[in-house]
Parts: sequence; C-alpha cells; structure tokens
Amino acid sequence: MWDKLKDILLQVQKPARYVGGEYNLPDMDKPCKERVLLCFSDKYEVGMSNIGTRILYHMLNDMPDIVCERCYAPDLDMADLLRKNNLPLFSIETKRDAKAFDLIGFSVQFELQFTNIVYMLDLMGIPYFASERGEEYPPIVAGGPCVVNPMPFAPFFDAVLIGEGEKNLKELTLLHMQCKEEGVSKREFLQRASKLDGVYVPALHNPTKRAVVKDLDEAYYPTKILVPNCDIVHDRSSIELFRGCANGCRFCQAGFYYRPIRERSVDTLVTQACQLMDNTGYDELGLLSLSTSDYSGLKELVDRIKVEADKRKVKVALPSLRLDSFEAEIYEEIQGASLTFAPEAGTQRLRDVINKNINEKDILSSLTTAMKYGVKNVKLYFIMGLPTEQEEDLQGIVDIVRLIKKLHAEYGTSKLLNITVSTSIFIPKPLTPFQWERQISMQEMLDKQAFMRENLRMKNVKYSWHGAESSIIEAIFARGDKSLAKAIVKAYELGCVFDSWSENFDYDKWLKAFELSGVNYQKFLDGFSEDEELPWDIIDNGVTKAYLLKERHKAYEGKCTPNCLKKCNGCGANRLERCRI
Amino acid sequence: MIILKHYKVDDVSYVSHKDILRVLQRGLKRAGVDVKYSQGYVPHMLTYTTTPVPLGVQSTAEYFAFELNGEVDKVEMLVRYNQSMPFGMRAVASFYKNKNPNLAGIVTASDYVAKSADVLPKEIERIADCQNYVIPTSKKGEVVEKDIASLIYALRVDGNHLFMRLASGNANLRADSFVNHINEKFGLNIKINDICRVAQLVGVDGKFIDVEELLK
Repeated sequence: MWDKLKDILLQVQKPARYVGGEYNLPDMDKPCKERVLLCFSDKYEVGMSNIGTRILYHMLNDMPDIVCERCYAPDLDMADLLRKNNLPLFSIETKRDAKAFDLIGFSVQFELQFTNIVYMLDLMGIPYFASERGEEYPPIVAGGPCVVNPMPFAPFFDAVLIGEGEKNLKELTLLHMQCKEEGVSKREFLQRASKLDGVYVPALHNPTKRAVVKDLDEAYYPTKILVPNCDIVHDRSSIELFRGCANGCRFCQAGFYYRPIRERSVDTLVTQACQLMDNTGYDELGLLSLSTSDYSGLKELVDRIKVEADKRKVKVALPSLRLDSFEAEIYEEIQGASLTFAPEAGTQRLRDVINKNINEKDILSSLTTAMKYGVKNVKLYFIMGLPTEQEEDLQGIVDIVRLIKKLHAEYGTSKLLNITVSTSIFIPKPLTPFQWERQISMQEMLDKQAFMRENLRMKNVKYSWHGAESSIIEAIFARGDKSLAKAIVKAYELGCVFDSWSENFDYDKWLKAFELSGVNYQKFLDGFSEDEELPWDIIDNGVTKAYLLKERHKAYEGKCTPNCLKKCNGCGANRLERCRI
Repeated sequence: MIILKHYKVDDVSYVSHKDILRVLQRGLKRAGVDVKYSQGYVPHMLTYTTTPVPLGVQSTAEYFAFELNGEVDKVEMLVRYNQSMPFGMRAVASFYKNKNPNLAGIVTASDYVAKSADVLPKEIERIADCQNYVIPTSKKGEVVEKDIASLIYALRVDGNHLFMRLASGNANLRADSFVNHINEKFGLNIKINDICRVAQLVGVDGKFIDVEELLK
C-alpha cells in the first residue's frame, strides 16, 4: 500500500494529511487482539482539532491489547486518485485497508457531514447500509454530538453510541474483543452490545439511556497527545474544565445534552495543563467548556496556569465567556484587544424567551469596562428566527451596535473600534425546549438577513450571516427520522460531499435527492405537536421531555429559569449521574 | 549558537518546509531548551535553516540552527532534541559556534542520490558535460524554458543509483524537477520520494566542502 501511495501523494494538496508520523504517536506495534479504526467524517485539519476523538484515540491506545488508528475524510483530489489506482481508504498510522480492522467507529459532528459517512464507506469499499453488510465486514459504530437524534444516519451503522465515549466506547471495544475470542457472530455481539449503557442498535431499536462518566477527575484525559506536523484548525493543547452547562439557554442543544454538570478540580487541571505544555510544545493552551466563566475555580485556575504558561512562553486562550460573568480582571490579563460577546437576541423580551439570563445593565456595564480597557474589536453573535421574534427584535440588534459605538465615543481609550456582527439562523434542535417549534422558511430567513444588511450599513461595522439554504438542510437532518438515510445516499450519488464547506454545498442537488428518494422533508421543518412521538424519543439523553415542555411554556410566558448554580431546576439529567458543581 | 544536522525522511518528507519550521520549534520547546526570541512586538523564536528540499524528497543532511540563552552541552542538546522530535526528524550531529555561520547564505550546492527500480542508462552522465541544457520548468504557474547547464556540477550513474551534485541556495536547481525531466527523457520511473539529499556543500577556493566538515 505504502509503495502505491508514494506515487500519488505528490499529486495531492497537503500530502502531510495522509502520512501520519506525528509526535507522540502511540506504539502501533504492541501485541494486540483488537484493532480499532476511528474515522472522522471531515478533513484531517478539522478532525485533528476535535478534542473528543483525541481523547478516545489515546484512551484506546493506552488500553492493553488494543491498537487504535485514525482515518479522516480524504479531500476530493485524493479520493479521485484512490479510485483511479484501485486503492481503498486506509488508516493514517499503518496504511492498512479500513476493512481489515476489527471495529470501525465514526465520529459524527455535524448534520452537514452525513454525506461524508457514505463517501468514506464508499472509498472503503463497504456497503452503506448495515442491513446489507454480512459477517465479512467489521461492526461499524457511530458516536459524537449528532447522536442526540441518530435516526437519519442510524441505518448506516450497526450500533450508535449515545453519550460519552470514555464509558461506552471503552465497554463496547472490550466486549467486541471478548466476542472475537469466543468466536461469536456479529449479530450476537450486537445483541450483547445493546445491553450496555448508551449503545443503540438500530436493528433492534432498543430504548437507550445516554452513558456518562461519573467523575471527571477520575475520567481518562490524555496529556501526551498527538502533535500534528501540518497546520490544523485548532492547533493548540486544551484542558476541559467541565462538562454540561448551568445556563439553560432554550435554543442550545449542547447546554442540555452535556448535562449533568461535572467539573474537574483546579489541581487536576493545573497538572494536566503542565503535562500538556511539556509534552506538546504548543504555543497556546485552551481552556474548554461550554461557558468557561461559570467554572467555580476560574480565578484560581487562571492565576495558577498563567504562572506555568509564562514560564514556558505559552499563551492561555479563554474561548467562551458569558456576557454577565465577564470579569474585567480576567479580560485584562488574557483577552487583549479583541472581545467576543453573544447576546443572541436584540431585545430583553426575546432574551427572556430564550432564557439568556443577561440584561441591558449587564451588557452596558461589561461593554463600558471593555471600552475603558481599550478594546479595538468587538464581535457580536446573534440568532435570527427565534420563536416569537418580531421586527423590533431585529431592530434591537441594530440598537446594540449603535449603543456600542456611543459607548466607545464616550469611554473608549482605543482610537478605532471595529464591530463585527454575525447572525446565524435558529434551528429548533432536538433535546431543547424549542424542539417542537417550526423551522422558519427560506423566504423569512432571506428577509431577515436583508433587514440586517440594510440597517447595519455603518462605518466600521461588518455584517456576516449564515447561509439560509444550508440551515434548511441542517434542520431537516437534525429533526428527521430513518427515512432520510436513503436521501443521504441519493445526495451523495448526485455529488454532495463536504457539504459543511460552503464552496461544496449545493442546495439544488439536495432538493433533487429528496425528490428522487421520495422523501417528504417538509414534515421535519414544520412544528411538532406536543403530544406526538418525536423521532428521537427512544433515546433518553437525561433531561426529561416533561422538563423541556415546561421550559417551552415558560418561554412563551417570557419567564426565565435561573442558572443551575443558583438552584437545581429539576431537569432530570441527574438521573444519569449526580451534578457536581 | 547550536547547529543540528538532522534527517527529514519517511513520513516527514511529505511535510512542507513551512510546517517543518513549526515542528522544529515545537520540538525545541518540548526539549525544554531556552531558545532566544526576537525582541519585537510579537516575539518569535530565533531559528535558522538552509534551503529546503522539495516536498517528497528525503534528506539526511538538513541543518537547523538556533541561539540559546545560557549554555547547553552540544551532546546533551542532541539527546534532548531527539527525544522531542517525530521519528523522521532525528538529528545525527550537533555543533557549537559563537557566531551565526549563515548557512542559508553560503551553501551553494547539494548532493543527492536517486534510487531507481531499474538499472539506469549511463547517458544521463553526459548532461553534465553540456554547455547549454534547456529544460521546461514551472515558474509561478507558467512553464518557462530554463538553461540549467551551469546548475549541474556532476552526475554519476552506478547501477540503479544516480548521484547528482546540483546548485543549491540562491542559484538553485530543484532535484525533483531535474529527476522528472530525466524520467521523461529516458523513459524512467524514478520516484521523487526515492531521492535523498545526502550533503550540503559550500564553495571554497573552487572546491566544494561539506557543511559538516566546515562546522567541525
């Protein structure tokens, strides 16, 4: 394989994506009974940036008798050459044919990556649908954030891992190793797998409860991670402060999905940070979580890590600060001259509907502080198309921009202030209080974007927006059922691949694919009634449907739910594991 | 200043020069070496390399220099560096110099060995005797004619091995372009990844001296 690859590697862009050889590569020659291939349905530079697959890759390789290798979606030029040369998709580490592995896992990160699953299976020479694959093919499983509703892609997989891979992927791999030794069939293995926590077997359609790790201090976290030889999207080491989110923003799937809230201790994080800095040589260390400023020991953590980072000439990056907990002290220490805020909605009324627990006073005081510290760039993120949204809410976004300009004129110490406003389209995602809402139509999206373009024509203000067409497709696959799998295959056959890359996205092909596969996609864009069964109801992700419904009703009443740090709101996630905050 | 002679072989030969610079600098950080930084607004590590080999070409004679705060034994440096680098980037020698020898500026030629699956024709050697030798080369996406006679210092065929001494540095002949031309002209199939730079040379009094000798 390697000899044949040598011929084609110099004909593709960025051959370093396909050759491996990174620093901290685990031992691929150790005695092994189970060889696992972890696939990521996007390019190397995206996949290598993903913290989840990094954790699972190193976790499996640190287990005795198991070797885990990686495979990323090859770029189109590489795929063409593989096909021309009759070469199958291969693992990065040992350049082994994907079919030769004992177990194959896919990480599914985003609805617009679904065609890439089919693309990779095609390049591997593996039938797309699990029902068409016999004993000669290894079990193929999926995991990742999209498993909140796995139904649209479930028919491609033998099993879908719901929840945290540190638990269910580990148990599944050990089970498969045992089944292999016993010589049992794939069918029997899947029967047994369906009894594990967080393993949904589409052929059995078994009710599945999400698997979560109990204590993050005890959970596996790699500190000797792969350091890529070429540039990747997030090229830094990261520590994970906590999982879950206490805020309960009603549009946010991650905020509900990753509950219960579990923190790592400051001591553990400082130890991990030092080991990562020493083992990787990275210039930057990221502090990851859904809302970093909610971490209970943030001040102590930043103080202690800064001392270690300065010694090593490493920059500390805080990516996720909430407007209300914005601390001037931390900002001064770390953020420099650029500031990112996500008020999400333009008026207080709408912010209450979505439970974004910040008010005008918070925004005003935070921004005034920022201006005094000489901020030069402000980035603002908003969502358009939220339930109950009116034109005055969009006007509210414009008003916030005007307010910032006024504050800069009054208090700003920097000469110039650049404001970037980004809007995305609201998609009513599963496992949120808005999961029953309808997706706004294409025309509504375009009208709202036109309104913003018209009203944000101001000096030093830049406006960017998310594509309306891709939002429609994302909504269909976020909310759809198993009938969509054939549309995914049809879209792939029509040439849809790497849909999450805007230059490749082709809406007309998608419409054609729905038509040819006879799928009525409109039903997934219309709202669901509160008493109907939803496609993802068989998956128990922790937060109860009753709680989500209660939150929905509160949204329409404009009532807020307090942050979980103030009081437990009884969402039900602690049925899976106790919240540790 | 410490100068390391290192390999760029196997998987790493497919990593671009820009990325290699980052790999080298991260390796130094992992090695815990106190490297000097520039004093500008955005400080960067003060490191120096020689003319890179083309993508896919291997090398056993790359040089990487850096300035240190304080002193580190050059042998200890070699050990620490090797523990901190990907497999294909191992260093084989280390040197200490008080002053930056500016290798990128003084290297004028490189020796390469290309290995073919088949025995190579002796006629290849005659190219080195030509007064003029024009080949089409690519420049900024356009194909241009280039006379490379003055950039070829020596060619020798021995069985299935081709030894080449080609200009390197400011006046440069890319080994991959030259081998591609030979493949086309003689109907051969020498793979780019089977070319290896084995020495970098400095012209002194009409003679070529291996950089390694110069640094000793």
